[in-house]
Amino acid sequence: MSAPELLFITGKGGVGKTTIAAALGRRVAQEGRRTLIVELGADRSLATLFGKRDLRHEAAPLAPRLFGVRVEPRALVEGYFNRLLRLSFLSRRLFASATFNAITAAAPGVTEFLVLENLLQWLDSGLLTRRRYDLIIVDGPASGHAVRLLRTPRTIATMVPGGPIGSTARKLLGLLADHQRTRVLLVTIPDEMAVNETVEVHEALASGLALNLTRPVLNRVFPRRFSREECQAVDAFLATHGPDPLLSAARLQICARHDAERHLSRLRRAFGCFPIGVRQVCADRVRHSDLDQIGRPLARALFS
Amino acid sequence: MTHPSISTVDDLLRQRLIICVGCGGVGKTTTAAGLALAGALRRQRTAVITVDPARRLKDALGLRTLSTQPTRIMLENGSGTLEALALDTKRTFDALIARVAPSEEVAKRIFANRLYQELSNEFGGSTEYMAMEKLHELLDQDAYELIVVDTPPSAHARDLITAPVRLIELLASSAVRFLKAPAAMLSGMETGFARMTLNGLFKVLQRWTGFNVLEDLSDFAANFEHLEAGFRSRAAEVAEALRQSSTSFVLISTPEPDTVATTLEFYEELRKEGLPIAGVIANRVYSFPPLGRSAGQGYPESLRKKLLTNYADFAALSARDEQALTRLQSEIDAPVLATLPVLEEPPASFPALRRFAELLSGG
Repeated sequence: MSAPELLFITGKGGVGKTTIAAALGRRVAQEGRRTLIVELGADRSLATLFGKRDLRHEAAPLAPRLFGVRVEPRALVEGYFNRLLRLSFLSRRLFASATFNAITAAAPGVTEFLVLENLLQWLDSGLLTRRRYDLIIVDGPASGHAVRLLRTPRTIATMVPGGPIGSTARKLLGLLADHQRTRVLLVTIPDEMAVNETVEVHEALASGLALNLTRPVLNRVFPRRFSREECQAVDAFLATHGPDPLLSAARLQICARHDAERHLSRLRRAFGCFPIGVRQVCADRVRHSDLDQIGRPLARALFS
Repeated sequence: MTHPSISTVDDLLRQRLIICVGCGGVGKTTTAAGLALAGALRRQRTAVITVDPARRLKDALGLRTLSTQPTRIMLENGSGTLEALALDTKRTFDALIARVAPSEEVAKRIFANRLYQELSNEFGGSTEYMAMEKLHELLDQDAYELIVVDTPPSAHARDLITAPVRLIELLASSAVRFLKAPAAMLSGMETGFARMTLNGLFKVLQRWTGFNVLEDLSDFAANFEHLEAGFRSRAAEVAEALRQSSTSFVLISTPEPDTVATTLEFYEELRKEGLPIAGVIANRVYSFPPLGRSAGQGYPESLRKKLLTNYADFAALSARDEQALTRLQSEIDAPVLATLPVLEEPPASFPALRRFAELLSGG
């Protein structure tokens, strides 16, 4: 399976979506493809992973051939109505109004639509220019919100048949539904609630929206370190020697690994393919070397 | 605002109301259940409001299903009582509308309204609102000495507190005012011009959303007018309860750097709102200090090697967690009330939940 143009990453909050996006982006860029990571989520951890302070709404270089950009949904809505109303003092008053904010928050799809429309600028190639990026990785919002986001073009395309909005919606729908160009990657961790949510989101996106989902990523997995005999030896020593931090650490590792295997097989049943396990980073922070160790096998598993 | 008198979980359990806040995935629901159980074992009549509990936790509480009505959990003799309930936003919202609506007719019209359907399902804040609504109900019954509230995984702590007020402000008064005089939204503008602009705007919104915003909004507002007073007084009462000196907010955090950053944001927001913060409960903390050279000498050499390699991983994670705790302690002007270790598995049975409750209260 060749690499897509657009890879949309989502998952429950706190599962490490940004780390996965960064590791993958770094690897793909190292392999020679121009890559853009679009940060959409609430936290701003992407910049930190690359030793930068903050990302702006203009793409900034993170590494050779790797760029990062931050999309603020609220700013997109304001920008759109600014263009629409043409008078900024008018729109300023409007944005300050609680009613306006309530309506745009409640009206389904306004924000989502603008976020997706915004992605098109980086994917489109002009008549004379080639595409600016080979791969766009979207470090998406938490899964519930992501489902709403990915559903929007379909909703709007059916509701609004004509006009510029309708045609943009159809273009987006075509892009998302194109299994060659667009893929969705779900990230999860060995935790009951996180895996439950992943299975639900998979159902909503694969069956509900007919999107192309990659193999899911199970993040923060401990390696299988102790053989069955060694596990038994650890238990036996715990019984005879009493508590020893060395043995407790081993027990924790064995339990965590066991738990991860349970979740791996549950994901395998739900997705019908093997999940990609990504190891737990055992360090005080995630370094470039960690990103590389995660990114290499990940890119291989996803794109080759 | 912090409580100078609270420095342990034991102190905390003497409060009447404990609100657990924190980002998703930190074990907030389990911690809330653990606190409630610890309270109940101290002979208090206790209730816990949970949001979306995991199956394991339901098992731990001995409940197959957790309904929106309090269910009694069997404890041994001589202790207090524990009742648990779970939130179901949509159903609670509907029940609320049915209760405050002056007639069945009005309630029906609201249920059928598209804007209501969107809002009750998706409007950011409706789960938060419902948590507070349920809390109001329990406080009103006056049947509990301690109520522990788990909160939905909000992006912002203040959503929780301001959701009731915001919902009312947005849905009732400003919508009504707006419909009476749309131009008020652009106060100071020449009216005709402003109205023209707004009409254009609504046409766009309508094309987008496929429903007549103005019509739905006016319909909604007209019906909502009937409910406004009831909503307002309840919101005011909850807001007051949250600021009582017998109420404590507790921040739940795990030591992952991103989580700590979010916890600190939550703290700032709560502080700005002037809410009473008792402290932090740090969950899933690794604590494996560096070992001496002679460690593990009693074990076979090949096993010892593996044990040491493995231990090094956990020691590195422990160093990360120590940094996180130091950061929490230095940036939050309230104590770390409890530090809970990483467990081999989350509590999935009542005895396990009980051990968790004992760990929480330093047992």
